[in-house]
Amino acid sequence: MTVLALRDAAVTLGGRTIWQRASFDVEAGSITAVLGPNGSGKSTLLNLILGLVPLAEGSLQVFGEHPHRGNRRVGYMAQARGADAMSAMTGRDYVSLGYDGPRFGWGRDRAKRAVVGRALALTGTTSFADRPLRSLSGGQRQRIALAHATVFKPELLLLDEPLASLDLAAQAEIVDLINLIRDTTGAAVIVVAHDLNPLAPIVDRVLWIARHQVRGGPVDDVVNEEVLSDLYGHPVEIIVTPRGRRVIVGLEEEFAHPHPHGHDHSHEGPHEHFAEIYDEETR
Amino acid sequence: MSLGQLLSTSFVQHAFYAVTAVALAAGAIGYFVVLRRQAFAAHAIGHVGFAGAAGAVWLGLSPIVGLLVFCLGAGLLIGLGGASLDESDTVVGVTLTAALGLGVLFISLYSGYANATYSILFGQILGVTWGDVGLVTALSLGVLLVLSVVYRPLLFTSVDAQSASARGLSTRWMSLLFLSLLAITTVVAIQIVGVLLVFSLIVAPAAAAQALSSRPLASLSLATAIALLSAWAGLVLGVWIGGPVSFWITAIASFAYLSARVAQAARSRSRRRVIA
Repeated sequence: MTVLALRDAAVTLGGRTIWQRASFDVEAGSITAVLGPNGSGKSTLLNLILGLVPLAEGSLQVFGEHPHRGNRRVGYMAQARGADAMSAMTGRDYVSLGYDGPRFGWGRDRAKRAVVGRALALTGTTSFADRPLRSLSGGQRQRIALAHATVFKPELLLLDEPLASLDLAAQAEIVDLINLIRDTTGAAVIVVAHDLNPLAPIVDRVLWIARHQVRGGPVDDVVNEEVLSDLYGHPVEIIVTPRGRRVIVGLEEEFAHPHPHGHDHSHEGPHEHFAEIYDEETR
Repeated sequence: MSLGQLLSTSFVQHAFYAVTAVALAAGAIGYFVVLRRQAFAAHAIGHVGFAGAAGAVWLGLSPIVGLLVFCLGAGLLIGLGGASLDESDTVVGVTLTAALGLGVLFISLYSGYANATYSILFGQILGVTWGDVGLVTALSLGVLLVLSVVYRPLLFTSVDAQSASARGLSTRWMSLLFLSLLAITTVVAIQIVGVLLVFSLIVAPAAAAQALSSRPLASLSLATAIALLSAWAGLVLGVWIGGPVSFWITAIASFAYLSARVAQAARSRSRRRVIA
């Protein structure tokens, strides 16, 4: 089942084009990683799906309808802002806000305790849910935030940088938890990240945003030297480690702009020049 | 006169009802002021109120009219102009300074008795009339009623604006609503402790409460209780021992904040020892 369909979409903010000509689908139960440099519009994509930002061109269908705010079928975890921001409550309080935070007025909701308890159990946070958020580790706070985002068992889960500022062990824990949530709820997950590697074991598709362009598809179709060099407008090299991790490096200016050396290289394409220097170095 | 006789005089009775109503509203609204880190805005709204009160006195109106107009205006201005948090301190600061300048002008135009200015700046709780008490009580209860209705959405937008707006709440409208409630609370608190000491009833009890409790509703109730106790004790001490009531209220509320911080530090130190 297609959860989300974006067609020839463009977003402009304050008269500036963030990205354009973006098309991709998200299937139920899949995990999509959204990657790209800072400020390229990754969070803007989430805001678009949430109905917080309008589309300038093209179309976007979320569950077959226009995206709109307050859709309970869409769960959202905002980027963490450190221990201080939510210091004045416990994890359970914060997860409860995911349940009835948007509701005005008085009155008791008898279902609340059970629903919140279920979200805490799913994310493995029950044991520290009644401690103040400020006393938790970064990883524990992210687990609480995932409980907050999944309180209504969303069919589409949007996660903005869930791995940012976590140590490696905590990153792996959160990745396992995202996978567990996908497996148990069948939700489609879209994860904004700045590094593919920690997510690589669970990711089905990648969406790469750079220089106002968006490329989506299976990991190998997007994360290769040709596509990324084209996206960045600058040659990149991808080194694959023995265990399949990808290291992406930009090549030096010399490789990018092969002309100003006093010689006339105008008859050569950049690739030929690239090969020439490369040969000299390996010789 | 004995303390009992003093406390049963009509001006002390007026004062008692007024401080009770004001402390309830100030403690509750203060919880959100501290949570949203808008103490500077609370401070500024009070000072802008000074210009309004001075202007009203100059025009021969009741100071409370000027206070309401100016404080609400300042609240809306800060809410509209300071939507992005980076800018908000500057917007608050400029609003504050412009209003204080106006206040100085109004005072120089009003060449009358300086007593009015003094009571705006430092409060004049023992001078309130039955009419004042009625107005202050109505405004305070109104603030509490609205606050109880918007409690959860306000809490949500205060701690996590981004998620709250994704869930359909308007952070801008919540901010404007909150600043209006804060402005009204400031107006009633000024009746008791004056412009310069308004912080003591709004911010100090709430800051103390948040150092002691990390549950929102418990913390809000505690803030209200500390504000209430500071106001009652301040009134009794002012009448009994003498000295301005606003001095006593400020001293007690500040002491409560200091004690709460000491208790918090001691508690976190002992927790560290348990872990180590």
